[in-house]
Amino acid sequence: MWRLKLLRHKARGSANNLEFKHKRREFEKALRQARRDKQLISKRLLQSVDVEEEEEEDPVEPGSTPLSPEQVREMIRGVQSGGEEKAARLAYLRKALRNPESQLTFIKSDNGMHMLIGHPYLLTYLSGQSTKLTELCLYILGNLCPDSTVVREKLLAQGIVSALASCIHNQRYNLEVVEAVGFTLSQLIQAKDTNEKIIPAVMASGIVPHVISALTPDPEFGYGPAIECTWCLHYLVSSSSDNSMLIAQGALSQCSAVLITLGGAVAQGNRAGGIELLIWPLLRCLGNLLVSGGDVKPEDTRLLAALCVFSQVYLHPHPALSRESLWVLNNLTAGSSGFCSGLLLLNMVPILIQLLSFSKGINSMALRVLGNIAHHGTEYCVRLTQAGLLTALCATLCVVEEFTRLNGVPLLEAIQYNSEGEQRVRAAYILDHHFPSFSL
Amino acid sequence: MLTYSYNLNIMLQPELIELLGSATPKILAEKIPVTENRDSEWQGLQQKVRGNENAVSPFGFRPQRLRFAVEDEYFEDGDIHRHMYLQDVVTATAHDEHPPTISEFRCHIAGCRQLFDTLEGYEHHYNSLHRNVCSNCKRSFPSNRLLEMHILEWHDSLFQVMAEKQCMYECLVEGCGLKFKTSKERKDHLIRTHSYPADFRFDKEKKSGRMREKKTQQQKDANMEFSETATIHQESESMDFSLTPEPESVKAVETEPMHTANLKPRYSYKVPSSICFGQGSVRGFRGRRKK
Repeated sequence: MWRLKLLRHKARGSANNLEFKHKRREFEKALRQARRDKQLISKRLLQSVDVEEEEEEDPVEPGSTPLSPEQVREMIRGVQSGGEEKAARLAYLRKALRNPESQLTFIKSDNGMHMLIGHPYLLTYLSGQSTKLTELCLYILGNLCPDSTVVREKLLAQGIVSALASCIHNQRYNLEVVEAVGFTLSQLIQAKDTNEKIIPAVMASGIVPHVISALTPDPEFGYGPAIECTWCLHYLVSSSSDNSMLIAQGALSQCSAVLITLGGAVAQGNRAGGIELLIWPLLRCLGNLLVSGGDVKPEDTRLLAALCVFSQVYLHPHPALSRESLWVLNNLTAGSSGFCSGLLLLNMVPILIQLLSFSKGINSMALRVLGNIAHHGTEYCVRLTQAGLLTALCATLCVVEEFTRLNGVPLLEAIQYNSEGEQRVRAAYILDHHFPSFSL
Repeated sequence: MLTYSYNLNIMLQPELIELLGSATPKILAEKIPVTENRDSEWQGLQQKVRGNENAVSPFGFRPQRLRFAVEDEYFEDGDIHRHMYLQDVVTATAHDEHPPTISEFRCHIAGCRQLFDTLEGYEHHYNSLHRNVCSNCKRSFPSNRLLEMHILEWHDSLFQVMAEKQCMYECLVEGCGLKFKTSKERKDHLIRTHSYPADFRFDKEKKSGRMREKKTQQQKDANMEFSETATIHQESESMDFSLTPEPESVKAVETEPMHTANLKPRYSYKVPSSICFGQGSVRGFRGRRKK
């Protein structure tokens, strides 16, 4: 009945294109401001395809105009009256509720409150036989979660966590439901304030293995379920400084394996369908897992290749994604001779050197990775300079301050003290002439 | 000479592509040859450096694993991308390109007169309403678990016997597991501990008479506002928990700023007569209830 369809940003005819782009930029600005205010939450829209045509004019509107109390009552009545259009009316109501003022009006109305306090019913239907109803209830719950701490605590008390755990277990082969569970769970655990209660409940519920297992995307179905579950994992990983339990359940190896698979797809030119929506949270999970699980590392160094591919391919469309790939590379190579050697052996240093020319944190992270390699000793520095590192560093010295800020000096020092004769001389020269305050 | 390569044509090395191909096996990190760090030489240099008081420690750089919090600025762009996706996504009804062409048909369950014109709609109706039906009293339940609990509590004489001696009324919330001596205690627990609304339909007391039944039925149905489809109206009864007639239980537990929920529904709309209330749970066999 309801299928998630990724609305590609198709051109709506040249007349509307500029306006559409402008609206989109405004929307993005609003989201960024919301994030700064720690208010970045989203609700998922469900609607029937028939309604889609009417709503195409305004797809990126964060919220419609607020409703009057009478309108709210009318809408609720419309939903209650049943009939074939009930689903559409409910969807319409849900969309209207994205406006905070409408929400308040809704809460104040009598019927509205009954709907809100009907949570136990929603939870009960999660274990029902109708998967479509289950999916719908999940999205309703998921959209309710970000509203307030009170709502979340209530849901917690009513047993939402075990309901979600049972649901994903029983419906693990139904990817639509898995996606919906992932979404709802991510909405539930995203907020920081209920971390002390919700996260432990989630970890104890037995839902985590299912979440981890869902990280492997089904090529036919699409990335939806994996995306939602990976965001869940990201919130779980970030909530604790010790993630040995998650690692024991296979989180790290699974993230690594999926990234390698996606790396292969991207390398072969497959970049459509929102693949970066999955790569992004995977990188964050892996990056933070590498810092919070002792010294556990992924075993397969093909991961290095995947990360290098991402850092190159996404450099222009999503520089932040490129930067985060380098961040994971940093965490992999810091203190690991295996991965440092891997980068050298698999001839990926030239890629890193190429990335030294780019801003937005890309060059500084690339420098860190190179520094990690250099730190391992003379042999490594030799290889680095053979790959042309010193030349590239000289080139970036045109902006000396930038270079210093980006850890360039320590890298030079590392080379200076680690390298053989000629390289030592060159590094010393650079330091003497460009950074006299640092030289001996 | 410095060249800023803004329009760098990113050509992926063919080796990379091959490395990531599905035919390539794992390359285990532990198998990669590493060169040992020549520590003695390193230390020698360190001593040299320390001799000069003007020198900044050359070992300022340390390989460091970095951790970023969820709300860190570092993650801003990725978060924005994610939320744009969430809010742009249009969940569309998967109307089949070639919908099965069947004419209208009725649900075949005795007493249910619901009409359908799609198999999907019928499937949904059947699963919601007729699947978990108590064979004794014909009530339907939204889940197998609730059905089983119902049978145990209402149609099992052994249960009644055991309930006199021990706690048999199980909490409805899955995973809770607590049991209570009476259904009222269970209800109180649900309200207190699990924040269930006070007018949630808990165990109905033994009442007889179809007239009262009917009224209660309508009241119940009127209460199910969040129902998504017409069929849910019929499911109101599927919880098998009726309205508690006591007005004292009206006090809502939540702290939301609203006036107390009034037990009596105050809806003036008329339910269209095409909506069937008499669904699968035929009310005819009530007389058989014990006690």
